[in-house]
Amino acid sequence: MSKVLLDVRNLKLYFRTRSGPVQAVDDVSFKLRAGHTLAVVGESGCGKTSLAKAILRLLPRNISTYSGSVIFDGEDIMKYDDEKFRKEIRWSKIAMVPQASMNSLNPVIRIEDQLAEPLLIHEKLTKQQASVRVNEVFKIVGLPVDFLQRYPFELSGGMRQRATIAMALASNPKLVVLDEPSSALDLLTQANLMNVLKKIKHEINTTFILITHDIGTASELADEVAVMYAGEMIEYNSAEYFYTDAHHPYSQKLMASVPTLREDKELQFIPGQPPSLINPPQGCRFAARCEMKFAKCSIHPNTTQLADGATVQCWLHDKTGEVKHA
Amino acid sequence: MPSLAVKLPQEQPKEQKPILRVENLHTWFEVRRMGFFKAGDVRALDGVTFDLYEGETVSIVGESGCGKSTLAKTILGINIPTKGAIYFEDQDLSTLDKQGWRNYRSSIGYIQQDPYGALPPFMSVQRILEEPMKINGIRNKEEQARRIRQVLEEVKLAPIEDFLPKFPHMLSGGQQQRLVIARAMILEPKMLIADEPVSMLDASVRVEILQLLQGLQTKHNLAIIYITHDLSTVRYFSERIFSMYGAKIIEKSSTSALLKEPLHPYTQALFEATSDPDAENLKTFKNVPAGEPPSLMNPPKGCRFHPRCSQIIKGLCDEHIPPEFQVHEEHIAACWLYKDHQ
Ligand SMILES: Nc1ncnc2c1ncn2[C@@H]1O[C@H](COP(=O)(O)OP(=O)(O)OP(=O)(O)O)[C@@H](O)[C@H]1O
Ligand SMILES: Nc1ncnc2c1ncn2[C@@H]1O[C@H](COP(=O)(O)OP(=O)(O)OP(=O)(O)O)[C@@H](O)[C@H]1O
Ligand code: SF4
Ligand SMILES: [Mg+2]
Ligand SMILES: [Mg+2]
Repeated sequence: MSKVLLDVRNLKLYFRTRSGPVQAVDDVSFKLRAGHTLAVVGESGCGKTSLAKAILRLLPRNISTYSGSVIFDGEDIMKYDDEKFRKEIRWSKIAMVPQASMNSLNPVIRIEDQLAEPLLIHEKLTKQQASVRVNEVFKIVGLPVDFLQRYPFELSGGMRQRATIAMALASNPKLVVLDEPSSALDLLTQANLMNVLKKIKHEINTTFILITHDIGTASELADEVAVMYAGEMIEYNSAEYFYTDAHHPYSQKLMASVPTLREDKELQFIPGQPPSLINPPQGCRFAARCEMKFAKCSIHPNTTQLADGATVQCWLHDKTGEVKHA
Repeated sequence: MPSLAVKLPQEQPKEQKPILRVENLHTWFEVRRMGFFKAGDVRALDGVTFDLYEGETVSIVGESGCGKSTLAKTILGINIPTKGAIYFEDQDLSTLDKQGWRNYRSSIGYIQQDPYGALPPFMSVQRILEEPMKINGIRNKEEQARRIRQVLEEVKLAPIEDFLPKFPHMLSGGQQQRLVIARAMILEPKMLIADEPVSMLDASVRVEILQLLQGLQTKHNLAIIYITHDLSTVRYFSERIFSMYGAKIIEKSSTSALLKEPLHPYTQALFEATSDPDAENLKTFKNVPAGEPPSLMNPPKGCRFHPRCSQIIKGLCDEHIPPEFQVHEEHIAACWLYKDHQ
């Protein structure tokens, strides 16, 4: 088994607002092995993008809490100061393809120049070296190299998305965070993109965190699946078991709401809405919508490690019954 | 337990009446260079023919830009057809006068794509629902209140009194979409056109909204055109499916037949491209055509899918437009592979 590349412990990211702190990432812990892909799934507003931002330290100004450790390749990068983080980690070792980034390419700069710029600045490559590298990554993502001379508006959405992925790969990072890379794309374009990512995963052994609310597409790439609900990671499971045998009642309901093309299944929805992340309930955050809830659920559940390696935050699975949280 | 049971396609009763007939419909948009010289036409709809029966649900699937919304807007009279005809309850729309158009429009509910742009931000829920009634001459306050109560109950925005004064930004995405549906139903339409009504929503809310639409369909015997790019929701919703590519309908089928065996290579590719959650997906690459959808200003000669088609018959597909072939009783494909079925 490959070594652990990323080890996130008790990561918290709260945003300051007038009504109180938004607990967007609340005490999230997980490990990710080199060469694996983790899919982070969950409904809109559950904290997926915030988790990515917390790992990459891409923070807005209104932060009220930012704590925990992010151990990357053996080092706690949370301890780095901003200068060191920017120089040694962001983009060069951990790159991100932000949500809707294909629309954020600079329209008046040719693709090649946009891809080369960070290589010249961060990696201190010569123009010649940068150009060679840019050509390489363009081939990796399956774009014809003559497109490098074009402007973003001359490319289709799918091609622009590949260009942003090429940009993230240019520095040869060990970890790439993809935030909803395909949800704005057509079905066929999306499938082609997943093929490209799969090829990169196999051939370059890149580690990915794939953020998406589309579980079907996630299954194309994911070795592990993490489910977020109201700022918390309530399940972390191997993809091999997750789709059929998820542990957390929320994960089970989520899977039951995903329509399938090849199988006749009865779809279900989860009545109600997730809680506000400002002053969320003290106990299990899913309790108000959970059919399995019992007395204990009014206390915050522990994270339990199960025999199959999965972790789950739910009293049904905690055989010790002890309350470990205040 | 709330659930969306799989809807079995009903046998099409042969003497059923079409509520809508669309014949050889073309909608072209003129493109001008420098605001003056005509550069050409975007053929957003290029020869579309079909019938929709009373109380029937038809799904239209296809990639971005293939003309789905243009079809919806042309039926609604928002876009003007370049050629072809639309009949609603046997009435040719091109013969309608102003009052006729008003009556026609009020008998069709429309859920436009992009729910966030659909709701006026400075109107309360109550005003949003009153507006279409005012425009259509329903001025009796009691009647207005009765209808508002009924539609809000139907879309489950309850307690009603809490929602009436709210503004759209105070509603969740799912609630906004329910309000859009309520507005589409307020004039008690016979037909509903729903353009991507769930694509912006989370999985669970999606199921909730589809179930709601299904409930309205049954209760009011609505005819529904459901437009989507997501094949996997279709099986839960419609009796028939039309597949569109490059401004044309290239496959028409009962839902069950299409799900069993998609015939057109494009529909087959849509199938292949759709991922059901399955750990096995990790192990295989998807066999989908590369390339882009065709330009609608300069569409390819012959079959519009031929530049991307792996089953192309050279000399035929790239030269001649394939007509519709009746392959099975409820299954039509516009593809030369089926040329022996006539
Ligand atoms: N800068 C900020 N200030 C205050 N609240 C914020 C800020 N950024 C995000 N939030 C809130 O934090 C929560 C989590 O947001 P986040 O963007 O991480 O969700 P997400 O899971 O990525 O959702 P989506 O699927 O819609 O992209 C939301 O309630 C959001 O409104
Ligand atoms: N008013 C217009 N003027 C010029 N071109 C238009 C106009 N409306 C639509 N088009 C073009 O017509 C084609 C079909 O557009 P349409 O919106 O019908 O596609 P669609 O199938 O609904 O796509 P999507 O899935 O992205 O909503 C596109 O190429 C579009 O750019
Ligand atoms: S007509 Fe020819 S090119 Fe078009 S889909 Fe059929 S086989 Fe392919
Ligand atoms: Mg996000
Ligand atoms: Mg559209």
